[in-house]
Amino acid sequence: MNKEFKVLAKPYIAWLFILAILPIFVMLILSFMFSEGLSFGESYFTFDQFALLGEDSTLSAFGNSMMYATLTTVISLVLGYFVAYNVFKSKFKNKFIVLTIFILPMWSNLLLRTEALGNLMEHNNIMTDLLSQMGIGLSIGIKGSPLAVIIGLVFTYLPFMILPVYTALEKIDYSLEEAALDLGLTNMQKFWKVIFSLSLKGVATGSIMVFLPSMSGFAIPEILGAGNILLIGNVIEQSFRNMDYNFGALLSIVILIFIIGALYVVSKVDKEGETLL
Amino acid sequence: MTNYPHATLQEYGYKDYRILQKIYKVLSVVAVILIVLMLYISIIVLAIQSVNSSVSVTNFDSFTLKWYAEMFSVRSLATAIKNTVITSIVATLLATILGTLIAVGIYSYAKKTRQKIMLLNNIPLLNADIVTGVSLMLVFSLLLPIFPYIFGPTTLIMAHLFFTLPYVILSVLPKLKETDPNLMDAALDLGVKPYKALLKVIVPAIMAGIFSGMLLAFTMSVDDFVISYFTTGNGFDNLSIWVYGSIGRRSLTPSVYAFSTLLTLMTLAIMILYQFLMKRGKKHA
Repeated sequence: MNKEFKVLAKPYIAWLFILAILPIFVMLILSFMFSEGLSFGESYFTFDQFALLGEDSTLSAFGNSMMYATLTTVISLVLGYFVAYNVFKSKFKNKFIVLTIFILPMWSNLLLRTEALGNLMEHNNIMTDLLSQMGIGLSIGIKGSPLAVIIGLVFTYLPFMILPVYTALEKIDYSLEEAALDLGLTNMQKFWKVIFSLSLKGVATGSIMVFLPSMSGFAIPEILGAGNILLIGNVIEQSFRNMDYNFGALLSIVILIFIIGALYVVSKVDKEGETLL
Repeated sequence: MTNYPHATLQEYGYKDYRILQKIYKVLSVVAVILIVLMLYISIIVLAIQSVNSSVSVTNFDSFTLKWYAEMFSVRSLATAIKNTVITSIVATLLATILGTLIAVGIYSYAKKTRQKIMLLNNIPLLNADIVTGVSLMLVFSLLLPIFPYIFGPTTLIMAHLFFTLPYVILSVLPKLKETDPNLMDAALDLGVKPYKALLKVIVPAIMAGIFSGMLLAFTMSVDDFVISYFTTGNGFDNLSIWVYGSIGRRSLTPSVYAFSTLLTLMTLAIMILYQFLMKRGKKHA
């Protein structure tokens, strides 16, 4: 492409520095200070926030975040791979329809969907009412339990796993599978040695896309956990709402460390971010 | 001549898995359908709630369409929908135009520099929503002494632009790589000015990428809650923020279920129409 066009990207680089890099430094400074919100008039240097970091409530929120995000990622990986693999193996080759089926749920508002799922998890809900009008009695009340939060997270973020895995599977040359069978591998061996290892890129991207939002989100645990389950996102939201910018900033920095890890993995697996979509 | 019995396949160690394979196949189809159904269950619940004549979310009274008629009668909901539509459309259009130009700019760099820029570009994409939201709020707060009333539509649109641009860039770049590098040179040789050549030659060649980027940007922008929650000002709520507030006050009206269901149905209709037109286009071509 013409060298002249380099000019077009320059403002964007500046924009990214101001909006993505600068705030990281602001947060770093904030996390070492005591200040009233963002007014630095009576602010002073302190390590108080770091003491809060070691408190039981914070540690348990971190533990919860890690546990829920890991469980969500593992369950999504198993279910998502299963779905992607079966769709890929079926005669259903129209990629547009496949994409539409998995993207369509994302078009309705996330909070509304979560609230609807929450209603469904109550003992009495519209489905049980309809069923009982038909003479079927059925009731599961799991709202507020860890299981409810996990189910909510999995079914919200599952499409983020299915799509990259499906894209990766689609790129595998069929003649490789034939070659593996010709060389005497069983179907199971062929799956592990050829198909799964060639789809690892999609698995890595999908896992990151599921892990990060389920670790840091706060709306789903708040609605489905009915206030019983605190993740780190909830603690950050609360501290910013209570104008405790310093503690919130410190926690955000901790999350950022994970994000940087993820960025590193992505930059290794996929140099120009082609599997991120 | 002795008559030896023929060896059967089993004696060679061949195991017949055909029946097991059939069962596995049927089971997996059922499982896939169940999982897809689970993805849709909340939308189905919303649809049922939207045609329920009672305000209750636990009892189904009788079928009605009155919530669809009264969709915009709740003032705060109507404003929230209007705000969402305005923010998303402005942000998406800006992101599409600027993102395409930026992608062309990034593509003109050498590969090494390009990878570094892409690393920066991936930050908004991978960053946790809550960190992005907080970051943007901090930067905008730093601007408060100069622009005291900055929080509101301006910050919201800027924030949406910030996280939608990377999607457009990521969809346009692969298409740029697919274009013939000689296209640009040919246009320049024929005496076209560079920027005109960009518009007349390159943009039509990458139209598919621009379009899918635009669609992605709009999807992300319409559905965003966390970033909007931190970057909007008092009184400028989008739909997500309105829903969050209403859930907290336990005052969701069925009108919002009706709006959501209608939006899903419209999206579905557009997708089906698009698919239909594509098929017809292919037949005629």
